[in-house]
Amino acid sequence: MVYRFDPDGSGSVIAEAIEENLEPFLGLHYPATDIPKQAKYLYTLNLLRLIPDVKYEPVGIIPPLNPLTNNPLDMSMAVLRSISPLHAEYLDNMGVSATMCISLVKNKQLWGLIACHHNTPKKVSYETRTICEFIGQIISFELAARENSQDSEYKIKLQSIQSEFIARISHEQELKTVLIQNPDSLLDLVGAEGVALSFGDEITLIGKTPEKSAVVDLLLWLDTQFQADVIYETTHLAQSYPAASNYTEVASGLLALLISKVEKTFIIWFRPEVLQTVNWGGDPNKAVEIKSDGTLRMSPRKSFAQWQESVTQRSLPWKTCEIEAALELRSSIVGIVLRKANQLAQVNQELSRSNTELDSFAYIASHDLKEPLRGIYNYSSFLIEDYGEILGDDGADKLNTLMRLTHRMEDLINSLLHYSRLGRAELQVKSIDLNNLLEGVLDVIKASARDTEVHFKIHRPLPTIKCDRTQVNELFTNLISNGIKYNKQNKKIIEIGYLDGDSQIELEKGVTDVGDTKEKTIFYVRDNGIGIREKHAESIFRIFKRLHSQRKYGGGTGAGLTIAKKIVERHGGEIWVESVYTKGSVFYFTLQ
Amino acid sequence: MNKPNKRSLLIVEDSDEDFTALVRMISKANISNPVYRCEDGEEALDFLYGKGEYTDKFIAPRPSVIVLDLNLPGIDGREVLTTLKQNQDLRMIPIIIFSTSSNPKDIDACYLQGVSGYIVKPMNINILNQLVKTFLEYWFQSVELPN
Repeated sequence: MVYRFDPDGSGSVIAEAIEENLEPFLGLHYPATDIPKQAKYLYTLNLLRLIPDVKYEPVGIIPPLNPLTNNPLDMSMAVLRSISPLHAEYLDNMGVSATMCISLVKNKQLWGLIACHHNTPKKVSYETRTICEFIGQIISFELAARENSQDSEYKIKLQSIQSEFIARISHEQELKTVLIQNPDSLLDLVGAEGVALSFGDEITLIGKTPEKSAVVDLLLWLDTQFQADVIYETTHLAQSYPAASNYTEVASGLLALLISKVEKTFIIWFRPEVLQTVNWGGDPNKAVEIKSDGTLRMSPRKSFAQWQESVTQRSLPWKTCEIEAALELRSSIVGIVLRKANQLAQVNQELSRSNTELDSFAYIASHDLKEPLRGIYNYSSFLIEDYGEILGDDGADKLNTLMRLTHRMEDLINSLLHYSRLGRAELQVKSIDLNNLLEGVLDVIKASARDTEVHFKIHRPLPTIKCDRTQVNELFTNLISNGIKYNKQNKKIIEIGYLDGDSQIELEKGVTDVGDTKEKTIFYVRDNGIGIREKHAESIFRIFKRLHSQRKYGGGTGAGLTIAKKIVERHGGEIWVESVYTKGSVFYFTLQ
Repeated sequence: MNKPNKRSLLIVEDSDEDFTALVRMISKANISNPVYRCEDGEEALDFLYGKGEYTDKFIAPRPSVIVLDLNLPGIDGREVLTTLKQNQDLRMIPIIIFSTSSNPKDIDACYLQGVSGYIVKPMNINILNQLVKTFLEYWFQSVELPN
């Protein structure tokens, strides 16, 4: 059999040639303790090791200590050196009577052994031994080259996956899409069986992975594992993260790539427990033989059991080339992210440019449009003043219409200007007692609507909230004056108040879910006015949208509700209307 | 009270129509004080500093009051205002802004610079008439001005 050592000192049988009646050992793994360090060292010194008969009687050296040095004689290089009694027992248990081991050495390290067993004592001739030693040297020679080429085949495969993948990535705009759309490449890139993609709070699972909820928890822990590094790898996740012992069958090994800590972007590959991936040479459940006195019988089967123990919850190691592939992937992803950031920066620039344009637009509206308008108005009035008699009543009438239209145009421009200013002005958020604010609003409204009979109802004091006083003042003013303006009742009633957390409407809006209901108080302004048809419930908030002609309900520009909506939105709230046509409307709004 | 006749008014206004309207209202108010006009900021500064075509003190006497539009071609009203208010001598002359802009930012900025008044150009001839009348009465008949 050919036995190969793993980097951790354990080993496995990778090839064998046996008589039919013998039990195969192919694929069996043995723990590092099976062949101790000292034994391994000796194998590198003696390329050939022979035990013609396991049941030999060792003969001591006389004297045991060298009289000149007072030390035992170094027997390292002696072909006839005795073996450890444990080793002899081990072999005996296996039913082996004679062995010969040929060392396979790569780069001065013991790579493996060609172990020959015989079930009866056997002496090997000097010629055969020499040839065996020679074969061992030839193989040792070849090993490095063979392994390199085998490795490089894998490396080339990885590289081709990588370059193909990166080519695809660089064409794609959306990182997430490209990763999800190429699940096989993503897994093959590092030789994983499962992968979790985390983009902020969004997690996508591909292949064999733990449950989503487990990945969410894992991410919290993983987040703390990255210090200066961008990669985290383990072949024994459950050791550093005990919760992972629940899903070792899919995630014993973990390779995590940090793309962005701030945005919580991770790629996490999983490898299953190695038990699941190794091709067993026998039934692992029959591993241990127990003697009649209850002690464990030394046998390869027992070793096998030990190995099994030592590899639970572990995955195959992550190869350097796989880790490099992951890092390579990261740098191309970072490239994409950077490109995106660039695009974002550009969009930002565009935005600030168009904001500036909006500013200058507002300016144009305020000055450049108004100036000629004022000219038209003034000159019309000069015409009436200077040539009124010649123009006659009809002519003067037309000029008056012209002047009225310029006024209307000015109103529209002013509304637009006001609306645009409202969007850009910085909010002056302070604690405002709404009762005090409303008192001021009502004083002004009462003064301007002196001829109409309006009854204001405020059933209970309003709360104190954080808002921009000027804007909220305007909000109440607009809603209340609309309630009076669009109202044909002799006795106009305006009710102002707010809703309690348990009220029906609040539940419908799902506001109570937010938890702190105080922050999301729903205010309302109710009137007994003309009401709004259901189909207009949305469009009334559109700028310059009017439901009535200029001659009805005292005219107006149609900006009042648009401005109200803007104010509410700037406060992070919502505004909506409920209305019964001809009976009245209720405007609800939140401010938070 | 100073002799009203001696007081002169400099109007810095690029719009012919607005200037015409102003002059019309001034003449309606029966006030015969001399009125000078500059059409842009550069001309206004030349006028006040006696430079360019205004080197002759006779055609460019020091005005008692300045009416300044904010939006002017070239050097605009804000710059004229800043320049004048930094001049030890000229900063004494009261400046009244006469602008289309009702933007609170503009208004605050002008008062910070030390203007004596800010009037938003109205779109109503009667209001304009009233404003001009009040303005003239105040600056040419009611208050004392620096010499």
